[in-house]
Amino acid sequence: MTIALTLFAKIFSFFSQLFNFGNGSTWPGHIALKLNPNIINGILNKSRTQTVVIIGTNGKTTTTKLLETILRFNGKKVIINSSGANLLNGIASSLLLNSSISGKLNTDFAIFELDENAFPQILEKIEPNYIVALNLFRDQLDRYGEINTIAKHWKSSIQKIKKSKLILNADDPQIAYLGKDTKLNTVYFGLNDKSLEKTVMQHASDSILCPNCEHALTFKAYYFSHLGIWECPNCKFKKEKNIFSTFSYYPLKGTYARYDILAAVLTAKKIGLNNTEIERGLQVFKPAFGRQEELEYNGKKIQLLLSKNPISLNESLSTAKELGAKTIILILNDKIPDGLDVSWIWDVDFEQTLTKDINIIVSGLRAYDMAVRLKYAGFFVHISENIENAIKLSLVSLEENEKLFILPNYSAMLETRKILTGKKIL
Amino acid sequence: MKSDLSLTIGWLYPQLMSTYGDRGNVIVLQKRCEWRKIKAEIKVIDANSTNENLASCDLLMMGGAQDTQQEVVSSDLIKKKKILSELIEKGIPGLYICGGFQYLGQYYKTAGGNKLQQLGILDMFTENPGGKRLIGNIAIDASSLFGQKTILIGFENHGGRTILGKNIQPLGKVLKGFGSNDKTKEEGAIYKNSIGTYLHGPILSKNPELADYLITKALEIKYVKQIKLEELDDSLEKEARLTIVKRLSVAI
Repeated sequence: MTIALTLFAKIFSFFSQLFNFGNGSTWPGHIALKLNPNIINGILNKSRTQTVVIIGTNGKTTTTKLLETILRFNGKKVIINSSGANLLNGIASSLLLNSSISGKLNTDFAIFELDENAFPQILEKIEPNYIVALNLFRDQLDRYGEINTIAKHWKSSIQKIKKSKLILNADDPQIAYLGKDTKLNTVYFGLNDKSLEKTVMQHASDSILCPNCEHALTFKAYYFSHLGIWECPNCKFKKEKNIFSTFSYYPLKGTYARYDILAAVLTAKKIGLNNTEIERGLQVFKPAFGRQEELEYNGKKIQLLLSKNPISLNESLSTAKELGAKTIILILNDKIPDGLDVSWIWDVDFEQTLTKDINIIVSGLRAYDMAVRLKYAGFFVHISENIENAIKLSLVSLEENEKLFILPNYSAMLETRKILTGKKIL
Repeated sequence: MKSDLSLTIGWLYPQLMSTYGDRGNVIVLQKRCEWRKIKAEIKVIDANSTNENLASCDLLMMGGAQDTQQEVVSSDLIKKKKILSELIEKGIPGLYICGGFQYLGQYYKTAGGNKLQQLGILDMFTENPGGKRLIGNIAIDASSLFGQKTILIGFENHGGRTILGKNIQPLGKVLKGFGSNDKTKEEGAIYKNSIGTYLHGPILSKNPELADYLITKALEIKYVKQIKLEELDDSLEKEARLTIVKRLSVAI
């Protein structure tokens, strides 16, 4: 059965790419899972491959890429699922396409980033060697539901497994809660840096209630959103003291990326690599597409900062400012992968992060919604719904050697890359 | 417009009841006052506020939340019920979105069959049958509220179905979308000057005429005279509305 399915998947994928059917990376898995629901555990149980599963609202793709780069640089054979393929069908496809005809995988590691809802499903099938949990922010409430529900679901799924090692973000109470009272081997990463502490919470914040007893949490400091130094005055559940919080080299800017880097490094350490090996790996890191990725277009430098929810847009704005941005294009689409509801832009703290000296252009299917939001934040913007025109318009106004910053949400990022590189995905 | 007018806008539970960008409603109210030289003070009303704090508000806004947050708010809101009820009866205008709207009714029946007592200020109740949430862009005809043809648009996302009693009017008739429940083709509720609705967007950013309606009513109650607000340039808001109006193919 597996032989037939792997063969089928490879052939299907070949034709799919040949005729440009679109999403060739999930269909073989989708069909294979229908024919054999145990295809994922079937392949992994036969193979020597160790699995790493990465979950969280923001930073999955970057963390996956960081860990992949570190492991590959150190001679490990690694497969990953592509970021658009983070449901069970994407995992199944990735396994089928990379395994031998007999359905055996011959790689050292498989790193899978998983969608919020797919994580409990995969735990029904396999016990990953490592589970890396980054954060939980509000994102696409129309698709994923509310974050308390997701957190509860994750916790009960993790309670059923016996041997996975947990790598958890200590600064996010909902994520830290996954490690509470567990028998699983658990380590924590987080920040411990006075210079990054803020005393005021950003507006777009979640989980300020204790995940253990639902009493309001108190925060001594915030790093961003609800990530910080927290404690429950009622049940005394609080941020773990013993955390991994600094490393010698950070290949990406921003507080936000700091967490992804710490998560990848700590996982690599658990896997058994030493600091030198890890740092050398990080030196060759190139950002995942759209995540602080730098491109050239008509001789001008452009940097893409994927911004898909309030937290990531807040963080992209501060990163762009840190990098000296003078011209920023904000692109807002409302296609299925973006979420149909664009209300979240009102949870972004434009009032605090943007300044009047920055030239702002808004674009995308919901460009006018963004324009209205910025009008009420006190900023004047240029509007071009058409993304290509917005880019061309912005390039004209750039100063000598000025870099253009583009902050798109998901489908807008794919469209932008297509315009800039002529290709849809890497 | 003289510049000696002022309003106190009470924002109920901003930390707990603000899940879907609903703070945008407060920003819109504040800015539309400021642009007309009306002083607008935002007052946070939460567990740390006294009854006097609440009673001093001229206009109220309450957003929606996740279930756990709503339970916490419930236990505090019950202490403020008497004052809130008096304000509503007195005609103090308010905008109550989603969870905030449901609180005002008689009861909320959860998907698990639990019947939770609500504030009982408005003649309506909400039941969550479980299963499908009502999600998507929505357009409603709210002409009866404005006395002229007015379409309101927004984004709805709710599991609860709200049914109105005899003593309360819907905010509008559903043109496209689901509405408060998936049966009666009605959306929201209006009682005196209090408006309850499931529309996010935030609703006031998409429908500035509704923001102005609330501001006008608040000033009229406070200053006991007729108020005519200065016109503002709403061309960007109109374009943003058009994007959705065209997609839903409703006539405006």
